[in-house]
Order: sequence, then C-alpha cells, then structure tokens
Amino acid sequence: MGKGNLFVNGIDADKAIVLGNEAIARGALEAGIGYASMYPGTPASEIIAVLDKNKKYIENLYTEFSLNEHISLHGAIGASWSGIRSLCAMKNVGLNVASEPAQFLAYTGVKAGLVLAIGSDPGAPSSSNEQDDRWYSLHTFMPVLEPSNIQEAKDFTKNSFDVSEEFSFGIVVMAPSRLCHNAGTLYFGDLRDRSNIKGNFKKDPENYLNLFGMAVKNHAKFLERSELLKKFLAKSDFNKIINGGRSKTGFISSGVIYAHLMEALDVLGVDDHKILKLGFTFPLSEELFKEFFKGLDEILIIEEAEGFLEFQIKKIAYELGFKGRIYGKEFFKRTGELTLDGVMTGISRFLEKPLPAYFDFAVRKDKELSGKLPQRSGTFCIGCPHRATFYSILKAVGFSNANGKERDVVIAGDIGCYTLGLLPPYSAMDFLTCMNAGLGIGQAISIFDKKKKVIALVGDSTFYHSGIPVLINAVRNNADVLYIILDNSWTAMTGHQGTPSTQKDAFGIATGNAINLKDLVKTLGVSYIKSIDPNSVRRFASQIKSALKEPGVKVLIAKRECVLQEIRRNKILKKNENGISGTGESLYEIQKNRCVKCNECFTELACPAIILKKGVQGEENYYYIDPASCVKCGVCYEVCPNSAIRKVEFDLRPEFKLIEKKIDEELSEVPANI
Amino acid sequence: MKKFNIAIIGLGGQGIITMGTVMKNAALSSDLRDVSGSERRGGAQREGYVETFVKYIFYENRSEMSDPRKNMHSPMIESGGANALISLEPLETLRGIRYLNGNSTVIFNMTPYIPVSVRMNKTEYPEISFIVSELEKITENIFYYDFDKISIENFNSLTQKNIVALGALFAKTDIPIHTSAIEKILASGKGAKDNLRAFDIGLKL
Repeated sequence: MGKGNLFVNGIDADKAIVLGNEAIARGALEAGIGYASMYPGTPASEIIAVLDKNKKYIENLYTEFSLNEHISLHGAIGASWSGIRSLCAMKNVGLNVASEPAQFLAYTGVKAGLVLAIGSDPGAPSSSNEQDDRWYSLHTFMPVLEPSNIQEAKDFTKNSFDVSEEFSFGIVVMAPSRLCHNAGTLYFGDLRDRSNIKGNFKKDPENYLNLFGMAVKNHAKFLERSELLKKFLAKSDFNKIINGGRSKTGFISSGVIYAHLMEALDVLGVDDHKILKLGFTFPLSEELFKEFFKGLDEILIIEEAEGFLEFQIKKIAYELGFKGRIYGKEFFKRTGELTLDGVMTGISRFLEKPLPAYFDFAVRKDKELSGKLPQRSGTFCIGCPHRATFYSILKAVGFSNANGKERDVVIAGDIGCYTLGLLPPYSAMDFLTCMNAGLGIGQAISIFDKKKKVIALVGDSTFYHSGIPVLINAVRNNADVLYIILDNSWTAMTGHQGTPSTQKDAFGIATGNAINLKDLVKTLGVSYIKSIDPNSVRRFASQIKSALKEPGVKVLIAKRECVLQEIRRNKILKKNENGISGTGESLYEIQKNRCVKCNECFTELACPAIILKKGVQGEENYYYIDPASCVKCGVCYEVCPNSAIRKVEFDLRPEFKLIEKKIDEELSEVPANI
Repeated sequence: MKKFNIAIIGLGGQGIITMGTVMKNAALSSDLRDVSGSERRGGAQREGYVETFVKYIFYENRSEMSDPRKNMHSPMIESGGANALISLEPLETLRGIRYLNGNSTVIFNMTPYIPVSVRMNKTEYPEISFIVSELEKITENIFYYDFDKISIENFNSLTQKNIVALGALFAKTDIPIHTSAIEKILASGKGAKDNLRAFDIGLKL
C-alpha cells in the first residue's frame, strides 16, 4: 500500500478540516469497512468519492459507483452477508429506488455491520423534492441515527456498525446537506486492522430465505429485535438528557437542528430548560421518555419537515400518560430548510422572549431589499454541450419566450445537469419529477394528446440508471416520442463519476469496457436512431425537425463529452507544455462593425462568456467574448447569422494570453488537504 | 465563549469554497479548538449563488469545552451575526446584507457577473453606488476593490482574486487569526508562490 494522506492514515489525536461527508466516510473506515458503494447524488456524493479516490492507499477496500441505488444497496447486503462491513450512500430520493432492498433488510437481517448513509436536502437546493426519509423507517424498521456535527458524523457512523451487528439491522445515518457540506474540525480515532478483511458467505436459510411462512417468522423476529434495540437505546450514549434549572419546559431535538437549537439558546441567553438530544430518532425508547418527562409540563419539539419526532413522541406520551402539552410544528415550518434563523424565531415566539435588536434589523433590511434584486439562477458551464442541445431543440421547435405563443411540442425533462434547461432563458421543460419520469410520462401524453409532439430528454447516467426498461416499454407500446439522450459520458453534476459511456478517464486512460450506446439502443428495438455532435447546432436542429415528422420512437444521441472533463484531461496531458486549456485551437471574437445585436448569441444561446461591454467615449455598448472565460467551443461562431464572430489566433492580443482558467477552482470539490 | 463569524459569498467557480477551506485550516494550526461553517454548493460550477461560513470559536476555559450548552454550534450564521462579509460579486453583496450588523466589516469585489434575468432585459443590474449606499445604512466599514482586475494585472489570471480578497480581510478587520497561519497554509498548497504574493497584495490594500 502507498503512503496516502491524513484521511487514510490519521490516528487518534490527529485532527483535520473535513467535510461532514468525509467524516462519515472516515467513521466507516475506522470501523473497518471492506465495501463502499453509491449511485452518486448531491449532497451525499463525497461520502463514497473520498473512499474511492483513496482506495489505492487502503488495504482490502472495494468501492463501486453502482448504476442505481437498488443495485448499490443490494451490493452492500451481499457484502454484509459475506462477513464484510459495508457502507452504502445515497441522496434522499435514492431511497425510493432502494426502498425494495430496504424493505427486506429487517426481515433477513445483516451479518457484518451495514450502514446506509443518506444525504437529505431540505430546501431542495440540489433535488427535485424535500422528502424526509426518516418516515420510511416506520415500515422498514431501519434504525435512524442523526449526527449533529462533524465529530458526531464520524463517531456515530463508526459506532453504528456495532449496533448494526448486535441487533441485526442496517442502520441509516441521516445527514442533511448542511452537515454533508459543513467543513470543520474532526478529531480522528484509531483504525481497525484491515489485513484480515476477508469474505466468507455462510449459508443461513432460516434468515435469508424470505418467503411464505418463513417471511412471517422473520417479521416476528425483527419486531422482537426492535424492542431489544429500544431497551439498549434507553441507556446508550447516542441519546442524551441535559438537565435544566427550574423551568418546567423541555426541548427535544436531533441532528443539525439540535446544533441550531443550542446556538439559538446561547444567543437568546436561555439556559434553564431540560433538553433531550436524540441520536437515534427511530426507534424511540419509552424508558428514555419516561425519564425525560419527569418534572416537565410543557415540551417543544424542534425539527424539520412534517414532524417525524412529534408524530412518534405524542404517541409515546399518550401511552405513558404524560399530562403536559406537546408543541412542535406550531412553531417551526414544514417546508423549506429550517435554518438557524428559523429556530431562533420559533424559540423566541414559544418562550415569548424578544430576539436581539441586530437580528430584527437584519431580517427587516433583507426583506426590504430582496424583492428588488435581480434573481440569479444557475446556468450551464461555458462550453457545455447541453447549452448547444437546448439551443438546437428551441431552434427546431420554437423559443417559449418568442411572442408569448405556446409551443405545440411537449418537452419532458429529467434529472441531471441538463435539468438546468428548465430555467430561463431556455425554459425548455414542461415537467420534471424523478429519474426517468420524462419518457414514461411522455409516452402516455403522446398517446392521449395527438395534437402535440413529445420530446423526452435523458442524460446517459440517468438512462443507464433505470431508463432502459422505460425505452423498451415505449417501443413495445408504439409510443410516438422523440427521445434525446444527452450523452456527455459522465455523471457530471455530482463530481464526474464514470458511466457505462465513459471511454477515457480524466488522465486519458481507456476504461476498456465502455458501452456503445447507439448499438444498445438499436438492440432495444429502436429503428430510427442517429448520433450527432450537439455543438453542430444547425445540423442538430434540422435533425430534430425531421425526426419529429417520423412516427414511433425516435432516438437522437447528442454525443459530446462534458467540457469540464475534456479541459481537465487536456490540462493533465499537456501539463509540461504551455498548451492552451481549452477545447479548440482558435479563440473567437465579435467584430463590432458587423454585430447588429440580434441577441442570437447573447440571449438565445446565452453563453456567459459573451458579455455586454460599456462603450467608451460616446461609443455604443457592445457584445464581447471574454477571452478569460471562453473555452473555444465555437458554438457562438456557428449560431451568428451575420458572420460577425470570427476565429482569431490566441496570441494576437495581450489578454488572449490568459491560458490559466478558473477551471482549477471549479473542479476542486473536495478540500485539498485530505 | 467568543465567536468570530465570517460569511463568504459569491458565485460558483470564484473560489469561495477554497477561501473557506484555507481559513479553516489556518485555525487548525493555531490552537483553536473549534472551527465550523457550512457551504451551499448547489450552484457551484454553474454561476449560481454560493456561500460558505467560517466560524471561529474560542472557549474561555476547559469546562466550557465540555459543557453541552456551549460546545455545540450551528453550521450557519444568524441574521446580523457576521463580524465580516466578503463578497466576490457586487450584486451578491446585497444578498449577503442579511448577515450584517452595525459593527460588521464588508469587503466586496467590483466586477459584476450579469445574471440571465438582466441579460434578458427583465431587470436591471444595480450600480455600485446603490450597493454602497444600501450597505452604508447598516455599517461604516465598507471596502471595495476590483479584485478581478488586480488578479489579472498581477497574475494574468483570475485565479488569485479570492486570495487577494482574503488578504484584504486580514488588513481591514480584527480577525483573531494570525496572518502567518494563513501563509503557512498557502505555502503548503498548490500555486504557493502566486497565492502568497496574492495574499500580500491583499494585505497592502
């Protein structure tokens, strides 16, 4: 094994600045995992990425970016049954896909410890919903553990492997994006010896064969194990009661919201209340609550979303005959992220204690201003082939913002970087929900609304995730849909994990087993199929037009690698030369005297490298390609109807010497020192 | 317990997260027990709004460190709770106004990145003078520079603008971390020579 770094080798008393996600990974490593997998998804991606990146330094560690969460969790179960401690990670909605293995896990139980780390996304900054996966446990019976900070993310994850083995459950470690992407101090612990991590699958038909009467027996067994776990949790260190003073009011919270609570109490100068910090938020131990309720006549539950704790605690309180009042969602919102501000405001309202003046002033000032500021939404990276795809689609079927007329084409969206096409200026999606909803829903629309043409979009990673059966279904049932697969060869949005389309990694090394997507689609029964470079926007637009005239399922593969990966590879391969870190050889410039400001490049293609410059000395404002940002993809050159954009040699003017782009910053996802 | 809260805001790709990471690592080599602060990375790589918080936490004594009412900290900064705000994009500075109080220091970059809504002529980009006047309603400690221009002039690249801004932070606030701690981190990272020079340029602003 090589030398590695602190993440790999750190021992007791070492400390580092790490992300919450990395802390979870480190906890699993300290616990001696031999298996780690995920289908990438924000905010959870770095959990497995950091292990995968470092596995060359770690003895006996298998990592996998699985094609979907269903496969990934099954993999973790197989590893556990072979006696290997396993970690499976996913984002919140991933559990919908993995819900089937999750439903069976309590029935069969685990052998070696199994942890399922879930990154939830309140406020949905990177998701298509806000679902609170804790509710799953009411029927999967998977225990749920919620760390409050980076240290607990590591410690809880590490210790949960023992709990998993003792009670034979897969343990869910839940972390919202606020914790996944919190970076702060972590104190390391010691690592388990890794030399004897070896698999040995021992047959266990009584537990693993889950059918008929055997399933019923297993059902009874896991209910019993859950009761035993509750007894353990009444005394364990995962949950904590902090005694208060004279106040008869108590607070209950968990996870990051507990961290907000403690800070809110500190800011408000409140320290008289009894507090229950829940590590495990499922199952809840009645014993623990009996202890906590003592001396209290009023309880406030501080939590996010619909109130999973409140739902459970009110039942326990009823059964224990607790006579006091229990409050929760009256004071904290059900939707959006519950922030530190939200907790402070709720506590202040509940205790009827005023907020600090500086806080009120800042909130008021923000409210006053926020309506007046231009909104900013994300967009495609400069040179992104998806921008060319959306431009081509809109060229073929009409821009939605053109004279307010509704398009007679339905565009079905899906999940990936290209989802940004639903935002202005493209506004090129009519619906968007979950992975591979686009073609599935689009198929039925094409059957029931014959007046409209349907275009369904999907990325390569999403297609491989669960799109293949959807496509076969569309073909077998004679759907009338144009299916555009935006194949950029990477799961790009989550930090460039490979897909089956990936031919070369960032270092230029061939993966060897890349799938020929065109051949695959042909095999699935599609007869109309074409592969095209999306950056050839004129040709692409006319292909979309002609494909829409054909009946049945048509597939166009927009094939061009993610520009960030292409640039990264060029940079690595040219490291020792003074090469240009772009895609093509020439730069482009807009000739002021030919540009008539038709806006084709500025608002319709809307490449951020094209900017409006202020004219000097009475000169009119003009469009300008910023050489510091342009990656020379040449799409603007192709879209300009007036030939006002021309190719230039890069060293003609001093500003074109800017060869070191901001790419380095853009690509550094993980703090550099770990 | 004392806290020093810094909010860093801007757009994906501007080096916001790197700044936070450097500042947190500097704390690690300087005896601080706790440093925390979360990042919003949803919009990274795509010109979306990005923010990161750096919270330096100082305990008065050992018993505070083990007191559960004192040793747990939110990864966020409350409204009005920032000692300093750095913004690498002028308009975004106004979105960060919610973190400011009368004693806060603001450092912002003058180079605008035009949002799509302005591109489409739906809204107007505010003038620098408007931004400054809004900030002045809250605090007197306002400093603004064209960090993009400084970075290009000195390094022929935009890459160093965040480190120049970091230098400015140390020059203009009473941040409780020694500059040598930052220099130590910069010296051990990628592009050490340029970054150290960029930090120094910022310090002299």
